[in-house]
Amino acid sequence: MSDNILEVNNLYMNYDTIDGNVAAVQDVSFSIKKGESFGLVGESGCGKTSVAMSLLKIQADNGHIDSGEIFIDGTDIVSLSEKELREVRWSQISIVFQGAMNAWNPVIKIGEQIREALREHYPENSKEENYNKMSSLFELVGLDKSILERYPHELSGGMKQRAIIALALSCDPKVIIADEPTTALDVVIQDQILNELKKIQKDLGLSVLYISHDISVIAEMTDNMAVMYAGRIIEKGPTKEIFSNPRHSYTRLLLESTPSVIGKRKKLNALDGEPPSLMGEMKGCSFSPRCPKPSKDCKDGNIKMGLIEVSKGHSVDQCCVNCG
Amino acid sequence: MVIKTVEEKSQRKNKIFTPAFKRNWLLFRQSTMGRIGFAIILIFGLLAVIQPLFFISGYWSENVYDPVVGYDPIEVELLIVKCPKNAEYPTDKYEEPGDCPGKGEISDRMVMPFAPMAKPGDMYETFLQPAPPSKDHWLGTDSLGRDVFSQIMEGSQVAFALGLMSATLSVGIATLLGTIAAFWGGRVDAYLMRQSDLILMLPQLPLLLIMAALYRFQVWHLALVLGILGGLGGLVISVKSQALQVKVKPFVDSARVTGGTKFKIMTSHILPNVAPIALLFMVFGVTGAIFAESTLSYLGLLNIDMSWGMMIYLAQTDGYIFSGLRYWWLVLPAGLSVTFLSGGFYLVGRGLDDVFNPRLRKR
Amino acid sequence: MNNYILKRLLQFIPVFGLFLVLSFILFNATPGNAFTNILMNRDLPPEEYQRVIATFGLDKPVHERLFLYIQNFFKGDFGYSYTHFPKTPLDLIAEYLPRTLMLFAVVNIVAFYTGFIVGKILAWKRGTKTETWITMTSVFSYTVFYPWFALMMLWFFGYKMGWLPIGKFLYPEKWYDSPYSADEVFFTMIKYTITVSLALFLIFIFSRNIESINLRRNVRLAGTAFLLAGSYVFWNSGEPGLKSTYAWDIAFHMILPVMVVTFVAFAGTALLMRTTMMEVLKEDYILTARAKGLSQRRIRDRHAARTALLPVATSFIFTIITIVDGAVITENIFSWPGMGVLLLDSLLREDVPVAMACFSFLGVLALVAHLLADISYAYLDPRIRIQSQG
Repeated sequence: MSDNILEVNNLYMNYDTIDGNVAAVQDVSFSIKKGESFGLVGESGCGKTSVAMSLLKIQADNGHIDSGEIFIDGTDIVSLSEKELREVRWSQISIVFQGAMNAWNPVIKIGEQIREALREHYPENSKEENYNKMSSLFELVGLDKSILERYPHELSGGMKQRAIIALALSCDPKVIIADEPTTALDVVIQDQILNELKKIQKDLGLSVLYISHDISVIAEMTDNMAVMYAGRIIEKGPTKEIFSNPRHSYTRLLLESTPSVIGKRKKLNALDGEPPSLMGEMKGCSFSPRCPKPSKDCKDGNIKMGLIEVSKGHSVDQCCVNCG
Repeated sequence: MVIKTVEEKSQRKNKIFTPAFKRNWLLFRQSTMGRIGFAIILIFGLLAVIQPLFFISGYWSENVYDPVVGYDPIEVELLIVKCPKNAEYPTDKYEEPGDCPGKGEISDRMVMPFAPMAKPGDMYETFLQPAPPSKDHWLGTDSLGRDVFSQIMEGSQVAFALGLMSATLSVGIATLLGTIAAFWGGRVDAYLMRQSDLILMLPQLPLLLIMAALYRFQVWHLALVLGILGGLGGLVISVKSQALQVKVKPFVDSARVTGGTKFKIMTSHILPNVAPIALLFMVFGVTGAIFAESTLSYLGLLNIDMSWGMMIYLAQTDGYIFSGLRYWWLVLPAGLSVTFLSGGFYLVGRGLDDVFNPRLRKR
Repeated sequence: MNNYILKRLLQFIPVFGLFLVLSFILFNATPGNAFTNILMNRDLPPEEYQRVIATFGLDKPVHERLFLYIQNFFKGDFGYSYTHFPKTPLDLIAEYLPRTLMLFAVVNIVAFYTGFIVGKILAWKRGTKTETWITMTSVFSYTVFYPWFALMMLWFFGYKMGWLPIGKFLYPEKWYDSPYSADEVFFTMIKYTITVSLALFLIFIFSRNIESINLRRNVRLAGTAFLLAGSYVFWNSGEPGLKSTYAWDIAFHMILPVMVVTFVAFAGTALLMRTTMMEVLKEDYILTARAKGLSQRRIRDRHAARTALLPVATSFIFTIITIVDGAVITENIFSWPGMGVLLLDSLLREDVPVAMACFSFLGVLALVAHLLADISYAYLDPRIRIQSQG
């Protein structure tokens, strides 16, 4: 055991679809310490949202976890019953959804929806206690108390997002997942929200898992990070380290395709092609079709997969260690 | 214009059997309900078509099997009995008043007007009608000696003809009106919407009842009325909204600039978009039409020789409904036919629903 | 919100106007039309003859006749009934209406509630065996040929089993010594039903504000129990007490029609509820509710059903219309002497004034019901009720 508040070991998750089995998450492992912020980055469809859903076990009906462990503060939630899970959800780990626009039920007042969560996990609270708690939460995220009595459609996008954060904090969880927390907002609000999240994290000592395809968000907000591609983690380690010394071809290309405010102006390298289909078996390195310098083993599919440590805390998928 | 390429030509030809159509067909086949519904419709369609074939081929002689004027004299001998008074039941022979006269027997009171000299114990020769199902008459005969199975087939013809006629008519009218409303806008649109609202709101059956009572309908009158009522109703609104969506697309403007007429735009762009709802509407329209016809003839308000509703009507006026299972062939086949055929169309509609509403599909 | 109501009312007027024109055409379009038929009635006293011509303007051109027709409509003057002379059609409607109301108030509530619950369960248990069975039953009940089905049920429960009465709404023998007419008893029953329904509704609304879930449930149970006790007291004392045996007789006769109509009518609501729920279940806020750790039941009832309720609640008004539609058949088969029977009889006996009055009445009822449906939809959806402040 460690002071890992969240530990994921060898997680495999699949979806059953009409067209076949989709291997969305393959052999994913990472851990987050108390108070730490972790980033999960990758293209659309690489599996990061599936990981997030698995952490709360709220994946879609046709998705199921085949094997692996997820420890939240020492408890493996994969094996818990639905009833036990309901206690874990929101009180130990919560999530700030992507696109808060639709995360609110349009016919119920905001305050009532937060109160619902409180009633579920703190049933002994009186009405006053709940009200006070909600007021202080709103203060924390910078919203006025009167919003509690409003309906979702009366709020702007930014307000809804802040309210979602308040909702996520309501039951004092230990870990919060922020799934694309700012994608649907304009840049000014983005900046505000991110700063607020940082502040809240520090004040409350929370661990936060940031999920984004925007590598700049990850750079700004996280201590450690992992890069996902086609359902696997292909590189992980301290954020600063990965940014200064990316070892996997994909990571390198990802960084190179982001414009920089400082430094020389250069032509951006975009990645050709598309992510592979996650159906069926995948032999060898799934990135090889798009890799600019694949070795012979990568293309043949003879390569062994799996992460190897290259320096303190920094691991990379085997194939690219050899490519260099 | 420029030389048409071979591709264009073949595209034109395959306008109906496009890949989209094939895919939809496969999707439809996946739906259980759709398949069952389709099978039912096929069965009844078969029944409808076979009857004239039987007559033409001489397999069935028209004198006997015609659903309206056929007559099969089935001779039978019945034992005349005197039924005990109600208070005396149960006796050795009979348990309840309903048991007398039993099978093969006839009450002396029935015979008296025709053969005053007869007494209990004599045999009475008469024609058996209604006759129970037999080798010659698979569903027996009704009280006038007409073959019930043939009547079912006739009813099937009526149902299909009526249903399809009225459904096609209503879809045609609705599409036309909806498109007009979308393209002309303004007062015309406002009026058409109010009209559709009204038709939607009025309870259909009482309206039909009144019309039927006032105007003495025949089948094709009914088809006409149903078609018009359906055509002026809710579908107009759906068509109009589809048409509006198409109207604002850029290619419509470019089509106008390059000289396409309004008519051409309407047919080649709006129709494909409207087809799904129209099809759904049609299918449910047929269900409604069958129901309306059967109900009207059940109430005796329809001027028609034979249909399923009429069969139930006759069974009731002749007093056979409460006979329970004794005369089941008079009571059950007609009702079940109506149920199954409208059910069949309904199921097809549900199947189509799955096809056209991908959001509701199972993953 | 008020703007919305006003707008709907204004839109209602042209529709109503159209309705008047339609009914005018309907009754005038036959050769030897409805109005001239009134003239040909042998029972018509001579003074009436002139009056009829004057009132309906039978000697005037069409457009004037239309105007007179509309005038008469609003005055409620449809002439006199042929078969029930000298009663006017409105008298007859007043007599038959309470019976229909009683029966259909109960039927509507039962059918709608059943459909609502079944639909909820259906959407929730998608893909399971339960769903298949319930769906098959729903499809059957939706497509079965109603008159035939009603007849079969009547035969089975009334004739064969003898459990329930065959038709009519009371046993005449029991009412020989009754000091009350059927209508009086009906009115009492209607008032009672409405009061109880309102009370239940109010209990529900007021207990929404209670914080704790358990307390809320207890309050509702207590309220319902209280109502039951109150009902018992009500029907056993004072004037209602005397009426109670007769009221029970009527209620007993209602059982079979209510059962049959519910069976046929619930499927529509159930299927709509199911479809709406399925769409709602795909929404993100359902995912949020799950993530919050709420129980399945709570998500289903509080979130999914509540949002799905919107279109379904408005369909309640439409189910009223469907049931009114079927009222004719129902009343006919069960010999329940209400509006449906009045309409059918008047048509079969060519009692034109009564037929016209019935049709107008039903039409107005339907239009008003639609208006109410629109308004209640606007009320239920907070997005319309509270104009957003941007």
